[in-house]
Amino acid sequence: MSPGDYRLVRAVGRLPARVHTKLLIAFVGTAVLLVAVGALGLRVLAQSDDRVSDLGPLQQRAAAYGKLQSDIATVRLLLPENLPQDDDFFTVWPGAVPIPLKGDARVAVDQAVANQVKRIAPATSSDRLGFVPPSADENVLGEIREESLRLSSLMDDLIRDPNDFRRAQAMALAADLNQLASELTNTTTAKASGLIAENARAYASSRSLYVGVAVGAIGLALLLGFVLSWSVVGPIQRIDPRLAAIAGGDFSGHVDVENRDELGALAANVNRTNDELRRLYTELEAASRHKSEFLASMSHELRTPLNAIIGFSQVLREGMFGPVNEKQSEYLDDIVSSGNHLLSLINDVLDLSKVEAGQVELEVGPFSLRQALERGVVMVREQATEEGVQVGLTAEPEVDVVDGDERRIKQVIFNLLSNAVKFTPAGGEVDVSAIRVNGEVRVSVADTGPGIAPEDHERVFEEFQQTDAGLEQREGTGLGLALSKRLVELHGGRIWLESELGKGSTFVFTLPAERVPS
Amino acid sequence: MTGERILVVEDNEKNMKLFRDVLGATGYRTLEATNGGEAVAMATEHTPDLVLMDIQMPDIDGVEALRRLRADARTASLRVLAVTAQAMQGDREHFLAEGFDGYLSKPVNVLELLSTVRQYVDGGAG
Repeated sequence: MSPGDYRLVRAVGRLPARVHTKLLIAFVGTAVLLVAVGALGLRVLAQSDDRVSDLGPLQQRAAAYGKLQSDIATVRLLLPENLPQDDDFFTVWPGAVPIPLKGDARVAVDQAVANQVKRIAPATSSDRLGFVPPSADENVLGEIREESLRLSSLMDDLIRDPNDFRRAQAMALAADLNQLASELTNTTTAKASGLIAENARAYASSRSLYVGVAVGAIGLALLLGFVLSWSVVGPIQRIDPRLAAIAGGDFSGHVDVENRDELGALAANVNRTNDELRRLYTELEAASRHKSEFLASMSHELRTPLNAIIGFSQVLREGMFGPVNEKQSEYLDDIVSSGNHLLSLINDVLDLSKVEAGQVELEVGPFSLRQALERGVVMVREQATEEGVQVGLTAEPEVDVVDGDERRIKQVIFNLLSNAVKFTPAGGEVDVSAIRVNGEVRVSVADTGPGIAPEDHERVFEEFQQTDAGLEQREGTGLGLALSKRLVELHGGRIWLESELGKGSTFVFTLPAERVPS
Repeated sequence: MTGERILVVEDNEKNMKLFRDVLGATGYRTLEATNGGEAVAMATEHTPDLVLMDIQMPDIDGVEALRRLRADARTASLRVLAVTAQAMQGDREHFLAEGFDGYLSKPVNVLELLSTVRQYVDGGAG
């Protein structure tokens, strides 16, 4: 099954629209699909870009909060330097009394801590951070600011009074601060991570969507192209062999194309052409058969009465039923010769009709042209001798065997020879010659008769167009040369006349001679 | 000229007269039939020495009549000449192929007719 036979393809073919429109729809459809795929790609890119721009500030915040936490962590690390206990001591024993440390070292450490704590509050301002924190962050940052201020004043007290036992309270505040900063950092970092993960997921799903849509669009475009091209190619493939068959003379079939477009119309026209040609061909055949039958009937019907005319005349002339006088005998001769003239007229008319109807099929085969010429000369010699005309033949040895219909060529030769003898006055000559020129055989029949004026050269080959000399002769059918011309041309040869008034005539005909002389 | 019997089959009255008179004047006895059916009946009854058979006739034509003659043992070996106005190219070959012993086209040359008849009757040619 050809793709042109698929249901979908045929269904598209049946759509009542012009091929041009269908093609336009297919191209526009494909273009729309391409634009859609492109637009989707741009959207996916834009979303991705948005997510990346969300991520930037988040990471900036995370970094800033990390810095804050690191500062607070330093405070928290420095504070316990003045205690013999480690951090866990106050966690396990909250409210325990710390052991005061010795003089200057303690003050220096506390001073460093105080300085560090003082830097915390300003660091939470949006100016220092470089961005405006979201309100949730701002709340935490506010707490950090307040607590750092409280720690700051506490530290000032501690520096002034070494025995102040609120050092544990400072430790707790620092731990709180650390806790807050740590939360802030962790939350923000988590948000950034979440956003990254979300980005990754969104990217993956966008990619799937994009790939899906692209593959779908390509598939759809291919399908459009396939269906449309086959809805065009399919009918052409079906029409082509039908046309070839019609060209070959087969009018038996119809081409089946359901398309309701130009191709459907084309197929319908092919079918109409087929039917019309079949009708004409049938008519022509009938006419040709009718003509053949008519010719055969005519021949038969004309010959039947001629049989009686010629027969009875002959019987009388032969004296079968008693003698006839000289005048009667002469008339009987005239009747017989006129009857025979009529007979040759019938034969020539039939021959000519057949040639013109294309019903003459040459029986082409190799034959001896030399022998045919010799036979022709023999056939006219008696008449020539009676009229005192010499007939000569010169044929080159290499024109012996030629291809052609021997009977028809003999007919032509005899016609030319008998014409020549007929028109040559007593004492004249008729020369027949055959030579091979440029791959063709050329036969000439030259006489020393009255000649034919150049303006009549073409006319003598037309039916019933005899020259004045011919009319005077009152012999011949007026069809001999017309028939000869057709027969020579059927062989693929030419026939012409070379003559001037008073200088005799030379009729020449050629035959293509493909055969190598043997 | 010993009175051989010749069956002339011919539907045209004038042509029949011509053949009858020419053959009669030459010394043959003629039998006459104007169509194929008659021809077969007469040939079977009289077994003539030669049959001159027209081809195109009403009823049974010459070719069919010949076929019937050839099919019957009594007449199978009769010498039969086609004498016909069907004289287009290829007709002679066609009728000889049908089984006629000879062929003469109309219009016949009376002298040729007589010499042919003599040839077939005397020499048993064909």
